[in-house]
Amino acid sequence: MGEYRNTGLDAVLGAVADSTRRAIIARLAASDARVTEIAAGFPISLNSVSKHIRMLERAGLVEREVIGRDHYLSLNAKPLAEAADWIDEYRRFWTGKLAALEDFIKHKHQTTGKRKKR
Amino acid sequence: MNAAPALTVRREIAASAEELFDAWLDPASLAVWMRPGDTQRTDIQVDARVGGAFEIVMHTPKGAVSHTGTYREISRPHRLVFTWNSPYAGQTDSLVTVEFHPRRGATEIVLTHEGLPSAEMVAAHRGGWSDILVLIGKVHEKERAAGVA
Repeated sequence: MGEYRNTGLDAVLGAVADSTRRAIIARLAASDARVTEIAAGFPISLNSVSKHIRMLERAGLVEREVIGRDHYLSLNAKPLAEAADWIDEYRRFWTGKLAALEDFIKHKHQTTGKRKKR
Repeated sequence: MNAAPALTVRREIAASAEELFDAWLDPASLAVWMRPGDTQRTDIQVDARVGGAFEIVMHTPKGAVSHTGTYREISRPHRLVFTWNSPYAGQTDSLVTVEFHPRRGATEIVLTHEGLPSAEMVAAHRGGWSDILVLIGKVHEKERAAGVA
């Protein structure tokens, strides 16, 4: 499994635990957008949307570029993909362990079987 | 905290439940099968009683990786429950339950690992989470198609 990085995992999971933030991610998955464009799509205040965006930024999911007076946001899906990989890593880990256990038992049976025959 | 099982892995092995159960608590057995492919050596310490601790240190080319936990239930040969901590499992204790179901001439092992941070989220936000994963897939496809590094 190599060195699995867990730093920021909680932030990523916390970020996607909210439906508004998931909707923001979905919007940014379609294309980059200005903060004001995103806010226009939600029935909540610009201030509330900004708070959600800041959480996404802290989790590393959203990147902001300031051009003049406009703040452009883009999606960085990599941390999410890493979080999703994590459970798959563990599934592989235990699947591998149970296969190794079977090999171990088979080997043990073979050697004890041989001994009995002699 | 009774969330849906996080992940379950099953395997039927041609051996008695007793033999398989013992392989989980015997350090010499664990040293053989409880190690990833690139592990050079595995150090095992097992205090096989309820409340007792275990430590599995896997020495890999990249360094030592320690897995630790405490036995919560030892019901030979049916059920083994222990907490699990590793660099992969984050800072929180996760819980592993291993059940041994005798089948004709074999035993089915059902291993459930729960309390994983991401798994809790998957269980609690299954809909939203899978939507997100579909989205990620699409974004990656798009990036690859566009040749974005």
